[in-house]
Amino acid sequence: MLVVNNVSKNYGDFTALKNINLEFGSGVYGLLAPNGAGKTTLIKMLVTLISPSKGEILYNGTDITSLDEEYREVLGFLPQQFGYYKHYSPKSYLMYLAALKGIEKKVAQEKITELLDKVALSDVANKKMRKFSGGMIQRVGIAQALLNDPKIVILDEPTAGLDPKERARFRQLLTELSRDRLIIISTHIVSDIESIANEMVMIKNQELLYKDSVENICNTLDGAVYETTITNDELASFRANHVLLSEKQEQSKMLVRFVHKGESKEDWTVKNPHLEDVFLYEYRDDLSLGV
Amino acid sequence: MQIVKFECKKALTSPIILFLLLLFTAYNILIVSNSSDFNKELHVANDVANSYGVEITDETLLKMEKDLQEELTHLNNITEEKAGQSFSSAGEFFSQLTYERQEKYSEDQLDSFYTIYLKEMYLDTAKHIDESYQKIDIKELGENNIQNYGLSGAASESLSKQYEKFGNRFDEMKRNMEHKRWFFAGKVYSMHSQLFKQLFLPIIFESIILIVLSTALITNYEFENKAHLVTYATKRGRRLMVDKLVASLAVSTILSVVLLAVALIVYFKVFDYTHLWHSSISSAFNWETNFPYVSWWEMSFLQYLVGAIALFYICMLLFSCSTFAIAVLLKNSYFTFFGFIAIFTILFMLQGFMPKSSNLIFVTGFNLTSLVLNPHQWFMASNGLLVFKYYEVITVLVAVVVITILFVFVMKRFNKQDIV
Ligand SMILES: Nc1ncnc2c1ncn2[C@@H]1O[C@H](COP(=O)(O)OP(=O)(O)OP(=O)(O)O)[C@@H](O)[C@H]1O
Ligand SMILES: [Mg+2]
Repeated sequence: MLVVNNVSKNYGDFTALKNINLEFGSGVYGLLAPNGAGKTTLIKMLVTLISPSKGEILYNGTDITSLDEEYREVLGFLPQQFGYYKHYSPKSYLMYLAALKGIEKKVAQEKITELLDKVALSDVANKKMRKFSGGMIQRVGIAQALLNDPKIVILDEPTAGLDPKERARFRQLLTELSRDRLIIISTHIVSDIESIANEMVMIKNQELLYKDSVENICNTLDGAVYETTITNDELASFRANHVLLSEKQEQSKMLVRFVHKGESKEDWTVKNPHLEDVFLYEYRDDLSLGV
Repeated sequence: MQIVKFECKKALTSPIILFLLLLFTAYNILIVSNSSDFNKELHVANDVANSYGVEITDETLLKMEKDLQEELTHLNNITEEKAGQSFSSAGEFFSQLTYERQEKYSEDQLDSFYTIYLKEMYLDTAKHIDESYQKIDIKELGENNIQNYGLSGAASESLSKQYEKFGNRFDEMKRNMEHKRWFFAGKVYSMHSQLFKQLFLPIIFESIILIVLSTALITNYEFENKAHLVTYATKRGRRLMVDKLVASLAVSTILSVVLLAVALIVYFKVFDYTHLWHSSISSAFNWETNFPYVSWWEMSFLQYLVGAIALFYICMLLFSCSTFAIAVLLKNSYFTFFGFIAIFTILFMLQGFMPKSSNLIFVTGFNLTSLVLNPHQWFMASNGLLVFKYYEVITVLVAVVVITILFVFVMKRFNKQDIV
């Protein structure tokens, strides 16, 4: 459906993305990478806000810039910083965006009522957004992305600012949506995406690292994730020799989870690798602070 | 269409723009009412045009003289009775009138005497039109101008040539008898500058301020509210800018029309032009300083007014267009506002920087700023360095061409630009 073909993006001398090749069919894709890895850059190219310095992006075989309106008509997009007009209500702002999306007034009115209900904002539909919390604004943003019943939904960190209850509701909404649609969600919070994404896209050093199912990605660390208990004093030397994933205080000892490739020791127990483990392992240099 | 409406709403619900519109309108009304102290005398010109026709001919002057004689007899009857005096003219009566003597007469009597005096004045001016116009030497006027501006070389030649054309037009004007029409006495009331300078000029400035503010606001609204990532990724995409241009022009129309319409309605309510609409703008009475207003074309006052309104409106649209281009380029309302002011000022000073021997001094005059700063000289032949017959038309066309080129450049750039 959507193909990213050898795409690079430079900002002046700075290379943000290098030779990215991707293919998206329908389903939920998680774009997982740490801060500054180029998630937003890739997404802005996918929604035609910026253009690749090299390469092309095709939708059903045609370049998205030449498809123009035809492409954006089937697109729903929530940017990382969702800008809004303070003195507009969610309803009036969505009416404006509906006009930009070429939706007829009558159709838009019904759709807006339905969507505001879905994101639990019906009560404040006519209140000015000036006084809204970050999470409420974010939900207006999610509603906005779905106005035109898009075939392609691209959400840049949609769960930022949502409380756990709203996150759960959001995941449910996505599961409902995911039939016959392409949904791309960027995040650096693994738990948000792990359970709902069919595939994960990971970017490292400006290049594509993985594009695979959660299971396959986890398998890259199969048999290399261990847990063991050590004393507090041993921690420093242990950290120097192994890639630590997590540590937990247990009575006077430390339970540590770590990656080790090669010979194992007796008191280490092998664990099933989680996506979080791969994330921490792969980006250990970027995330130099012990997590 | 729906989108354009939404865009217009952004400017028309902006408190600052609405506040300024009210403030400016109030100020314009103040200008009109402040200069209305002589509006009671203006009926005289209307009366004269009504009784004798707007055209001045020898016969009508004769008739008017006879009528005035009768009115003078009436005046003398009263003065004989009250003070035992008689006068050869109402002018003489007023020149001897002291405060004590004034008390002998009623308000109404004095008013009617004063009307006679004013009519005498109009008659006197009318009788001397030919004489005054014979004294005008356009060629000499041109030479004086060349000297005043210190022109030499090609510039001085060009101006001489223009004054030659002006001389031809002046003769034609006299043949057409355009100057022989009744109008408010310019030397006394300066009604032409009153309307086209004292009132039009502030309205032009106010209108420019409102138009620049609202155009910049509409154009940059998303960027300034950080909503650009949402709006420009919708189906409409970057074409939204086209809607914004249409909206800017619509809002500019609304604002400038409201400003001008309110001011003109008040003006014509205060100052009565009932019988003078079809007088000529080149009337000998439309003579305020050392030279009468002479238009390049035969124009009635009404035609001139309509022409001025049309030119005003066209200029305002062009200002909106140029603001739009600057705004798309700069993406920031403050920078746009100051960028506009900078360009406006540079165009104003441009002529002053040109060598006085080169034709560049005229060429650089064909800009919107220079055009818009002299509304009382629009379509006039006696317009300093801007004495070109098609000055207004050419200036507008030049602006259209420049703005179109700018548009193509700016829009092409915007369509390819990263929106970050
Ligand atoms: N307009 C720009 N000009 C120059 N550099 C930019 C620009 N936008 C992004 N970058 C740089 O490109 C890199 C990738 O940025 P991007 O915003 O795509 O990362 P991200 O993965 O979305 O990060 P985050 O999780 O913090 O949102 C960063 O190093 C950033 O500094
Ligand atoms: Mg980002």
